[in-house]
Amino acid sequence: MSEAGQGHRYFLARHRLADLIDVLRGAGGRARTVIGPTVEQGAIVYAEIDTAADLPVGWRDEQAPGHYRLRREGDERAFAYAVGPTAWKRHLFPPARVRMEVAAEPGADGTRFEPTQPAASATVLLGARGCELAAMRVQDRVFRGGPYVDDHYADARDAAFVVAVQCTHPASTCFCTSMRSGPGVEAGYDLRLTEIADGFVVEAGTDAGGEVLVSLRLDPADEERAGEAHAAVAACAETVTHRNRGVDPIRARDLDMYPEHPRWDEVAARCLACTNCTMVCPTCFCSRDVQQSVLARPDGTVERQWDSCFTAEFAAVAGGSFRSRIRDRYRQWLTHKFSTWWPQFGTPGCVGCGRCIVWCPVEIDVREEIAAIGTSAPESDAQDGGERRGDVDLGPQALTTSPGGVPEPPPRTGTVERVTTETSDTVTLRVRTPPGLEAQPGQFVLAAVPRVGAPPISVSRLEPGTLELTVRSVGPATAALCRLGPGDPLGLAGAYGRGWPIEAARGNDVIVVAGGIGLAPLRPVIDAVLADRDSYGDVSVYVGARTPDDMIYSAEIGTWEQRRDVTAARIVDRAGPDWLGPVGVVTQLFADTAREAASTVAFVCGPERMMQASVDALVDSGMRAESIWLTTERHMECGVGLCGHCQLGPYFVCRDGPVFTAAELGPYLGVEGI
Amino acid sequence: MTRGAPTVGVVKFASCDGCQLSLLDLEDHLLEITGTFDIVEFAEATSRRSPGPYDVLLVEGSVSTEEQAAEILELRAQARTLVTIGACATAGGIQALRNWADHDEYRRAVYAHPEYVASLATSTPVSSHVRVDAELHGCPIDRGELLELLSALAVGRRPQIREDAVCLACKRRGVVCVTVARGIPCLGPVTNAGCGAICPAMDRGCYGCFGPRPEANMPSLTGSFLASGGTRADVARLFEGFTAYAEPFRTTVSDLRGRGPEEDADAQQ
Repeated sequence: MSEAGQGHRYFLARHRLADLIDVLRGAGGRARTVIGPTVEQGAIVYAEIDTAADLPVGWRDEQAPGHYRLRREGDERAFAYAVGPTAWKRHLFPPARVRMEVAAEPGADGTRFEPTQPAASATVLLGARGCELAAMRVQDRVFRGGPYVDDHYADARDAAFVVAVQCTHPASTCFCTSMRSGPGVEAGYDLRLTEIADGFVVEAGTDAGGEVLVSLRLDPADEERAGEAHAAVAACAETVTHRNRGVDPIRARDLDMYPEHPRWDEVAARCLACTNCTMVCPTCFCSRDVQQSVLARPDGTVERQWDSCFTAEFAAVAGGSFRSRIRDRYRQWLTHKFSTWWPQFGTPGCVGCGRCIVWCPVEIDVREEIAAIGTSAPESDAQDGGERRGDVDLGPQALTTSPGGVPEPPPRTGTVERVTTETSDTVTLRVRTPPGLEAQPGQFVLAAVPRVGAPPISVSRLEPGTLELTVRSVGPATAALCRLGPGDPLGLAGAYGRGWPIEAARGNDVIVVAGGIGLAPLRPVIDAVLADRDSYGDVSVYVGARTPDDMIYSAEIGTWEQRRDVTAARIVDRAGPDWLGPVGVVTQLFADTAREAASTVAFVCGPERMMQASVDALVDSGMRAESIWLTTERHMECGVGLCGHCQLGPYFVCRDGPVFTAAELGPYLGVEGI
Repeated sequence: MTRGAPTVGVVKFASCDGCQLSLLDLEDHLLEITGTFDIVEFAEATSRRSPGPYDVLLVEGSVSTEEQAAEILELRAQARTLVTIGACATAGGIQALRNWADHDEYRRAVYAHPEYVASLATSTPVSSHVRVDAELHGCPIDRGELLELLSALAVGRRPQIREDAVCLACKRRGVVCVTVARGIPCLGPVTNAGCGAICPAMDRGCYGCFGPRPEANMPSLTGSFLASGGTRADVARLFEGFTAYAEPFRTTVSDLRGRGPEEDADAQQ
């Protein structure tokens, strides 16, 4: 046989499957763990395989919406089934792993955040199907695409030797041919097997795979066997395409254009929000970080666990959940899979494996939902009309990722220098910036208290060597931050996100509109503009708050009001005993002033409804939505685009924002449940 | 005990003591617990008694007698943080099945001298009587969740106890769905996580002992059970367990049975 065997087809007789597994376990002198299909708990799951006898030899599966059964056929075939409930992500992105070790011990260096180092052992993934390899490529883009990467995933992926098996026995729920992910396997394998009557046609996709073939001393597959293998996969494709319901991925990409389609309510009435679809999905990647410590011990860990966009707390912030209804969550899940995944990662998030259909206890079939919403949507419902989709290549080449980026960094320890009380529940911490932390106005940090949490906090002032964080106590983690005093350590991760385009605003009139604690992320804008006052045109600052007592930086607002080169005004929803100023909403302060569209830039932050009203008023006064910048709040868990929580339409607020233009946010601002 | 350590009381009403024993079951951590908290009232463990006040009061059991209905008001006044533990305290317990039945008939059937038994017509959760700050679900509670509650109180974090479905923990654990793969009715989709999906891991359906999730979609799940061939009585039986009286299981049981329970004891007061 040829040296490495790549590009050639060999024949592995059925009785030599055991030899293949032996070689895989010990190939190259290193012990590998073989994970492969086996019958457990009434299903074919992926678990550790010791011998060929562990494989599901002679078993067949029967799959339909909400239905999975095994039956014994009694023949010799080992791979005559479609994918079961386990996805390979279990081994590449495990359900729970310790991400960081933390400590809160006394002393200067007592506060520590140590990321755990990846240490994946060599593993063989035996029996991966075409859709599953496509799913790995999808997750490669999520976890390795940058700018921040999950180094544990990357390590596990690099340590995996992939033995792909082409599908010959599809289930009724398979729609791989729709998503161009199977049933054949075209890329991403070390070895590729196709099962035929008396054994397997085997090909190597890498040198490592070729070495395995060499050590097995296989004969080339004859024409008849090669033809049988080819025909089996072709017949499978034919069955999936013509017997099964499919999905048109290009049409499905438009799902997010119909957020008010009545079908969302209908499917929500059936959906249990049980999370099963997301747990079995091979591409779902969302996670939560769980703080773990025992009683009063100073040490603890942060464990990253699988999460789901169907959970109650997934999109929750202190004020409540952005997706409080099941309808909102189902819509988020389906539109993410088929629509918003495209702008995020350049592919759909679905590979057509059908797991979410089979393992839904109430038989919800995404193919039916997509057909109902995508084909029956009235034209007038479309939120952004017109043809926005070009031709898309879904083939394996299009899905190949380009690894890049740096591992998610741990918090660095900073020290509180000064604490200023702003209101009854809000303080400003002035923190000596830890070395290596750089921040821009508009960015945020994760402010970490060991064992308690790491809420995202906007930077509210930047000076050489220090930064300020204005924190409102709205839960235990922010309360812990508010309890810090001078000299106390805290962790700072970041700074993250896209900041305010202050430089680009030079030469323009500048308007700053703040609501409540929304003034905090805007203060660095005001600082920067006033420090370089001559570079800007007219500067206006409008501040609203619920009551005078809720107004942060009150004395500082007074200094802005005193300046002749700044127009500053404030307003409250309800007056207090000493309030002599206007009462009402913040837009009252500026709505009547006409603006020069070409030379005015606005920076806005506050409650979402207030920002929406401000955008409307500014646009009415002549401004363009592209020149109005907003900063948004969403649930941020990781800060670097890996955990999935902070999605807002196509955006990850942590990575693509938190600062956006009103034009970018237009379709999403103020839409309930997005 | 540390000087100035938060005081903890453990008290019970109508219950089996199993949840309190979960605290003693934290054997490896008992010394640390007593080093972190000052346990001033815990009849299963100490002869110390305290009428309060308590920084933390763990309350087991349902309110089943008039004395208990009065006592819980007093205890609430003495507790800075009141945490109910277990299905009896959080949902009324298995004894709340009497709320759908004739109380006197039950008493006569069980006791030789029913006239000595002074119980209310209903068994109700503590939250029907007083404000509750936190709940630990389960029959019995999960000792890991209890340790997390105490640990979170010790360091001032939000207890990492979420409103998840059992399914989330079940799938993380790698358990194959018993409903889909075996046709076994399972209450996992509508039940609070916290148990670690013990029952599905043992090849049986969840029977809901951690109680209904706040957003349980009952019509969908019961509709699915009925469509699979269960009679209304069969499906009602699935929910008539330790947490039947907690909404929305309560309404589901009543709808399926065609009759409602007695009103809450607090409504009678």
